[in-house]
Amino acid sequence: MLTLRSTILAVSLLGVMTAGALAADKPQEQCLGCHGDRNISGTSGSHIYIDPQQYSQTTHAIIGCTSCHEAVSSSHPDDGIRPSRATCKECHGPVQKEYAASLHANNAGCADCHNPHAVKQPMALSGRDMNAMCAKCHDTARMVTVHDKWLPQANLHLDALPCITCHTGSRNYVITMYIEKRAGNKPHGDFKVATYQDLTQLLPGDKEVKSLIDTNGDSFISLAELRTFNRDARHDGLRLWGMMTPEKVTHSYQILDNRWDCTFCHASGPRALQTSFISFPDRNGTFARVAVEKGAILDLLYGTPDFYMMGSTRSTALSIVGGLIICGGMAFAGIHGTFRFLTRNNRNKEH
Amino acid sequence: MSAHTEKEYIYLTPMPVRIWHWINALGIVTLCITGIQIRFPEYVNILGSYKAAIRLHNTAGITVSIFYAVWLGYYLIVRGNLFRLYVPSTYDIKMGIFRQVLYYFYHFFKGGQSPHHATPDDKFNPMQKMAYMGLMLVLMPLVIATGILILNVAPLREWIILIGGIKILVSAHFLIACCFFAFLFVHVYLATMGHTPLAHFKPMWDGWEEVEHH
Repeated sequence: MLTLRSTILAVSLLGVMTAGALAADKPQEQCLGCHGDRNISGTSGSHIYIDPQQYSQTTHAIIGCTSCHEAVSSSHPDDGIRPSRATCKECHGPVQKEYAASLHANNAGCADCHNPHAVKQPMALSGRDMNAMCAKCHDTARMVTVHDKWLPQANLHLDALPCITCHTGSRNYVITMYIEKRAGNKPHGDFKVATYQDLTQLLPGDKEVKSLIDTNGDSFISLAELRTFNRDARHDGLRLWGMMTPEKVTHSYQILDNRWDCTFCHASGPRALQTSFISFPDRNGTFARVAVEKGAILDLLYGTPDFYMMGSTRSTALSIVGGLIICGGMAFAGIHGTFRFLTRNNRNKEH
Repeated sequence: MSAHTEKEYIYLTPMPVRIWHWINALGIVTLCITGIQIRFPEYVNILGSYKAAIRLHNTAGITVSIFYAVWLGYYLIVRGNLFRLYVPSTYDIKMGIFRQVLYYFYHFFKGGQSPHHATPDDKFNPMQKMAYMGLMLVLMPLVIATGILILNVAPLREWIILIGGIKILVSAHFLIACCFFAFLFVHVYLATMGHTPLAHFKPMWDGWEEVEHH
């Protein structure tokens, strides 16, 4: 058993995921035979039920149950020995070290935020999923009130940002867009992140969800494709909702000094917002990102009509038009004033 | 003092209008300055921080909006002459505007006189009427409405989607604001075109304007 586990770990670390998964198949099947049955919750509590579908999508499924729960004998559960709990730091040492130094460490363990049997990769989470983890302890309404003391339109900021965009050690961010759909298909229903099922209903046959926007199937979304989607989206009760997400995930939860300065986001200039992605929901409840052509955030009319960040996403063309309007006013005064000065003698004669 | 040197004055601008005018003027100048910083924060930092610019812009915007409502109420209800003062008559459209344009761009330079003489019930020349009608009855309500929407993006998002998204909204707000910015220059310049450069400023300060006799 031990040899098998070591082998699986070594193989996994080498990146031969499929082989690892196959090797781990059997013991997992044995565990999930009981722990994957909802009825098991009745005897020892809901925490011992593992959703097989969710678990199979996690990277933890590759290494198998006994890699973490080591003390499981072949006669479990009849032996009456409670299997050991996982020690995350065995694999996630650097993360654990970083987390241990944070303010959170004394208040929540790894599993309080990350269910190890349903955990997803950061890029496979929507921004709202990320904030849902924080909201387990940090009540959203209260957080809006707290931020409102110094942050203009705090509700808007908290709606458009994962908490970890500011409460992070990540120095930079990217724009991630999600497809949202009106709840219950009602004309005035609230927008919610669209599920895989929501979007497949809009597609004929077995087409991939990303083909809703990536119509030519090249796994890259051009501005033209984005425009077409935006034009049609409203009829289907859909919209794109952009969120700033950290470029790198950290567990320090520090607030870098520059996050207190509004111009970190609002003055970074158009270039900083060129990088964006669209996150499409997968069948298993995760998300997959597809890169978008640079400039989507800035495209005034059709890029992302519901994403605008004061100071950063301004349109240069519009700034020029506005500048010309102001110059027109100045030019009128200047030119008329010049003629007025040159012809002043004509008026002096009258008086 | 001999009779021919006596000056005649008319009470052209009532006090509520003067108070509104100067608060409005201060508000619009503040909005323009803070607006520049809000749009170009990496180039302009007049207020020290972006947050300060946003807060002052919001405060000035709300002040201008409230005083606009007061101005509208005053002319609509108290005086009841909003449309007479601000909406051009048929004559103004057919002939008055043409005559006024001709004066500003030709006769003025030749030493001619303005075809229009202000009275309390006919304060504005046809060009002024057109400009003020556009500014006060069209652009001002629009810039206020777009400003209120931008100030409340989260609670009023449905309205924003209805008009085409936040980018359309912000673009409209910006372009209208530029019109007001341009108007500042034109307005101050044209105000110096009385029989003395300060002649038109005086009634906006104390209400009384000297009547020109020719």
